[in-house]
Amino acid sequence: MKKIVQIIKSFTLWELLIGMKLTGRYLFAKKVTLQFPEEKTPYSPRFRGLHALRRYPNGEERCIACKLCEAVCPALAITIEAEPREDGSRRTTRYDIDLFKCIYCGFCEESCPVDSIVETNMSLYHFENRGENIMTKPMLLAIGDKYEKEIAESKRADAPYR
Amino acid sequence: MIEIEIDGKKFQVEPGKMIIEVADDAGIRIPRFCYHKKLSIAANCRMCLIEVEKAPKPLPACATPVSDGMVVHTHSARALDAQRSVMEFLLINHPLDCPICDQGGECELQDVAVGYGKDVSRYTEGKRSVKDKDIGSLVATDMTRCIHCTRCVRFGDEVLGVPQLGTIGRGGKTEIATYVEQSLDSVMSGNIIDLCPVGALTSKPFRFQARSWEMEQETNYSPHDCVGSNLHIQQRRQKVLRVAPKENEAINETWLSDRDRFSYLGLLHEDRLAEPLIKQNGEWKTVDWQFALNVAAEGIRKLIDAQGGQKIGAIISPNATTEEMYLLQKMMRALGSQNIDHRTRVTDVSDQKHIGAFPGMGFSIASIEEQSSILLIGSHVTHEQPIIGHRIRKAALQGSSIFAINLENYQFPFDLSDKLIVKPSALVWHLASVAKVLLTKQTNPDSELMAFLADLHVSEEANAFADKLMQFDKGCIFLGEIAQNHPQASAIRYFAELIGKMTNAQVGTLTTGANAAGAWLAGAVPHRSAAQKSVASPGLSAKQMFDAKLPAYLLFNIEPEYDCTHAQTAINALKDASLVVVMTPYVTEAIKEYADVILPIVPFTETSGTYVNVEGKWQHFSGTVKPFGEARPGWKVLRVLSNLLDLENFEFESSLDVLNTLKDSVDGILGGHHNALELPSKMNLPHEGLERITQWPIYRTDNLVRRAYALQENIVNTIPQIYVNNALAKKLACAEGDLIVVSQGQASVTLPLAINDALVDDGVYIPAGFQETATLNELFSPVTIVRS
Amino acid sequence: MPDLKNLTLNFGPQHPAAHGVLRLILEMNGEVIERADPHVGLLHRGTEKLAETKPFNQSIGYMDRLDYVSMMCNEHAYVMAIEKLLGITPPIRAQYIRVMFDEITRILNHLLWLGAHGLDIGAMTVFLYAFREREDLLDCYEAVSGARMHATYYRPGGVYRDLPNAMPQYATSKWRSEKETRKMNESREGSLLDFLEDFISRFPGKVDEYETLLTDNRIWKQRTVGIGVVSPERALALGFTGPMLRGSGVAWDLRKKQPYEVYDKLDFDIPIGVNGDCYDRYLVRMEEMRQSNQIIKQCISWLRANPGEVLLADHKVTPPSREHMKDDMESLIHHFKLYTEGYSVPAGEVYSAVEHPKGEFGIYLVSDGANKPYRLKIRAPGFSHLASLDEMSRGHMLADVVAILSSQDIVFGEIDR
Repeated sequence: MKKIVQIIKSFTLWELLIGMKLTGRYLFAKKVTLQFPEEKTPYSPRFRGLHALRRYPNGEERCIACKLCEAVCPALAITIEAEPREDGSRRTTRYDIDLFKCIYCGFCEESCPVDSIVETNMSLYHFENRGENIMTKPMLLAIGDKYEKEIAESKRADAPYR
Repeated sequence: MIEIEIDGKKFQVEPGKMIIEVADDAGIRIPRFCYHKKLSIAANCRMCLIEVEKAPKPLPACATPVSDGMVVHTHSARALDAQRSVMEFLLINHPLDCPICDQGGECELQDVAVGYGKDVSRYTEGKRSVKDKDIGSLVATDMTRCIHCTRCVRFGDEVLGVPQLGTIGRGGKTEIATYVEQSLDSVMSGNIIDLCPVGALTSKPFRFQARSWEMEQETNYSPHDCVGSNLHIQQRRQKVLRVAPKENEAINETWLSDRDRFSYLGLLHEDRLAEPLIKQNGEWKTVDWQFALNVAAEGIRKLIDAQGGQKIGAIISPNATTEEMYLLQKMMRALGSQNIDHRTRVTDVSDQKHIGAFPGMGFSIASIEEQSSILLIGSHVTHEQPIIGHRIRKAALQGSSIFAINLENYQFPFDLSDKLIVKPSALVWHLASVAKVLLTKQTNPDSELMAFLADLHVSEEANAFADKLMQFDKGCIFLGEIAQNHPQASAIRYFAELIGKMTNAQVGTLTTGANAAGAWLAGAVPHRSAAQKSVASPGLSAKQMFDAKLPAYLLFNIEPEYDCTHAQTAINALKDASLVVVMTPYVTEAIKEYADVILPIVPFTETSGTYVNVEGKWQHFSGTVKPFGEARPGWKVLRVLSNLLDLENFEFESSLDVLNTLKDSVDGILGGHHNALELPSKMNLPHEGLERITQWPIYRTDNLVRRAYALQENIVNTIPQIYVNNALAKKLACAEGDLIVVSQGQASVTLPLAINDALVDDGVYIPAGFQETATLNELFSPVTIVRS
Repeated sequence: MPDLKNLTLNFGPQHPAAHGVLRLILEMNGEVIERADPHVGLLHRGTEKLAETKPFNQSIGYMDRLDYVSMMCNEHAYVMAIEKLLGITPPIRAQYIRVMFDEITRILNHLLWLGAHGLDIGAMTVFLYAFREREDLLDCYEAVSGARMHATYYRPGGVYRDLPNAMPQYATSKWRSEKETRKMNESREGSLLDFLEDFISRFPGKVDEYETLLTDNRIWKQRTVGIGVVSPERALALGFTGPMLRGSGVAWDLRKKQPYEVYDKLDFDIPIGVNGDCYDRYLVRMEEMRQSNQIIKQCISWLRANPGEVLLADHKVTPPSREHMKDDMESLIHHFKLYTEGYSVPAGEVYSAVEHPKGEFGIYLVSDGANKPYRLKIRAPGFSHLASLDEMSRGHMLADVVAILSSQDIVFGEIDR
């Protein structure tokens, strides 16, 4: 009996028809894809995207050139130079992140004692010219200024876990 | 010898040693803050608490002497618990500064906290804060971070001999402070940066520049004094950021003078020349090496064809490497000129042929401590060679008697048993008097000498001085900068040797620059070529070259207006010369005025080379960073220039090649000894009236130091003024700050007056090494002063 | 008679079926493989040497990039090796989280393998379906670590952060009605565990769908049954591990044989094959996905019931919390030193292996007492699998090489290291 069923199935291409039925169902089902870029998948507050340097609410840059991020960076993507600012405080004169070297491990953010360097939710960026992969201090601060609200919100959401 | 046991291992030790010393020798690590092997024991940090069996409580390892049968546990639960508790106390008032503290990463407090402390604090109350002190241009303070180990205080008291810092307040209010609000005025104060286990005292010029882990360090040697202090050059991305001492018990122990530590600040001064320059039709043009070297070679060639090789003179800095000295003298001699010299400040070279392999010391630097008596002649030793000064202080602390014959009663960090403060022209006279007194006490005095000194009137002071000198047992005599630069230097040398012979003392010369010994051995002197080979007809010394107004000069790494005796004569001669080739790392307007070709060479960090120190120790180093711009190491420039001049046997591939060629021939030659010196022809009577006294202040000695801004701003640095003592100022009716005119023959300078009561009467101290005083010529000569 | 020679064919390294950068030199007699010579090393990044030059923690991120489809499992072997040397045990909750994510990783890996295997043999659809499911699991990765692939989430002493109590949600857009958006967000209303639970309830059905498409499919069977047969003896001799070994009928699984973390507390089965051909290996992996699903389910219910620490509180090894770091001296010093110098690991050597989706992934670590490894050796399962390609494909047709290769589940990140 089993053999007969097998022969019938074999000649009627039964298993192929079953498969076609499945794919046919999905042909008419609701699409799971999104209309990028108008629609985006949700980002976790822990998301590790493009870097930013933050400021305090009074406008003072947070970074104090402690160089922990530079030291902990496994890919040696961060280059910092520092000297005393006019008011005697410790500040960077150069803060470069080479995005070609960066492996987005998030250690810089973990190490930062003043929550200055952060990885934002931004994952959509591109370069058009050679050399644009180096994010300089003004560029990083500009990102921080532009997205401060979002950054602060993500950091607040994740603060209880860190 | 007694036996003790530490952590289960048995040791045979000398009684009287502390447990921590035994543990350190055995490589057993005990945490500590206040203990330092070069300082006295304070036992105030309590970090080194360890468990000693049968002791009722943990004991400090640094202050517990060993006793027979002692059983010590450094890592027992009790010891670790004690250490953890001490650590907790130390951190109570420590501010949360790690991220902004320069010490972070090389901080003993951090290391010990991680190794021996708790990982979470229980302390929630407020922390204290302490006001920072301004203690000068070299050391930055963050006194809140201080843990009161008092290493800096003990360093001032014990090592410098000048109490610079002290503790005020008690208990929780203890602070480290200067006694009076003043800067550190020592020439070795930078060492407190290394001593401070936390970030309370850090290097001011290095402030916030880099973390310790970013830098790579290479061994190098001091390019400023004849000691050859071992140091670590720390660089990041081809920029020298810091200099730290390298421990070498035989030379600099663990110390470094501020000049050696901070001179790196001049390395990348804005004067640095990146590309060769030539003067064409009165205009300076930047050219490539090929072109510049061709111009130089062609100029030299033409001049030799027209006037002969002996019309060229070469003057090399005593800070140049031995290889550079060797190549330059080889080149000069191949061109037919014996005119090569490194003694830019020396006037009197009449006895040069009698000087041994090189002027230096026939004994080691470390053995200075063992001398029972030391005589300083014309030497401000603590400023000229701070490390030698420190060794002399150590000798004094161990009971040796120190004597000085000087032009100024310098503030030494040791007591003088006796001193003669004399005016320049009386220096020889007084030395001769002392020699005469000693001679008369000899059983069988040299009659020729006695006859020569017969007319000499011996003063009371000299008599007493000589009497004390007689007690010399094992001693040494140092000839300082003044003795060497003096117009009668050969006579001074003669009498110093004579006194030395009669008092059983060795004579050492504390030469100027880092490599005077190397210069003599390499043949950068007019009367000898490499490895002591005398030449048939000696050439001219540096001063004679300028006096002779030669048509062509090669200057290597010097700025004659700052570095030479008779600076004005030198400048005039250079301006009149038809060809001046200057090899220098730094270019100034002054150089551009007389030079025709300027070739950029590099300072010591960017070249490989060898320095020979005053003991005759050869110290080879390799370049730490890449040369600046298109500048090239001096030995390469000289090698290529020689090739372009078609000279033979210049096919050196590396500086080691050069060194080996030289070293093969000089191996085994010892310096320091003077051969039979000749009796001076006659004794000049001391001059009546005012005389100039000249020295190169500690931070004006060479082109690198002069560009180190922190040293220039330091309180120790001399300001170009005219220094007289109070009596003379009164006589002149002048007050401090008045502008006065000093005339010396045709030349004169106008500078403010400053009072220095340590100066001899009739002595007018006008420092050299400044633009302001470069128009004067002779270093020690009669001058007249009038109020401006 | 002309001198006939075998045809030598260069397969890869840019061939789409070469799974990355494999270069295969095939000596063929017509369509039949005489000899297959895989060339490796085109993705060599010196990970072992790299790790020997930096503090222990800094290399965690490089472990992700070894087998870049089973990220957290690579990390797991590495941090376990360090933990063994340090003599520390992570908190139990961290162990459950690690096991849960190891199994998520296994599903991720097998889904990618399934898609690629199907694609290689000519089945396009299953690739798209597998990637649809991968999205949800990658969202879990992102939710805990912030990265969808290279997580850097495991740390010696636990995991970096606890599981989040909220999932990010879709925003409304002009392309979707509010109702539709709400529907999409339904599974994202609760915590990560809720989201994951929703997934595991759906997932067995999805596996059924894949099987509907493939298991009985005659073309699939024609391409896989009897292809690349390895006997159990040969499989052991060739150093096979994981599904490759189990496909040949050897019941060997580190999770059962040398249980690590909390695997001994969990209920799951080890599927094994009979014939040792490509088809059996396929069946084994499909069943493993169902078993992983089972394990995740058990982990979820344990994790729900047992909140607690996820990182050891020994701050000589693990960084203190940011709150502590900002207001107490000891914590700041430890934070500073951990992120610059790292911690020193006692001298010794250790081998630690996990049951990685591809087989036994091991880290052999030698420490000389410094803050970085003296020697790090990575035992990549794929390396011995690839080494047997010659034996497995000899006598097969050219097209079978592709089937064999993809049934080995090769990833060059781990092979070339």
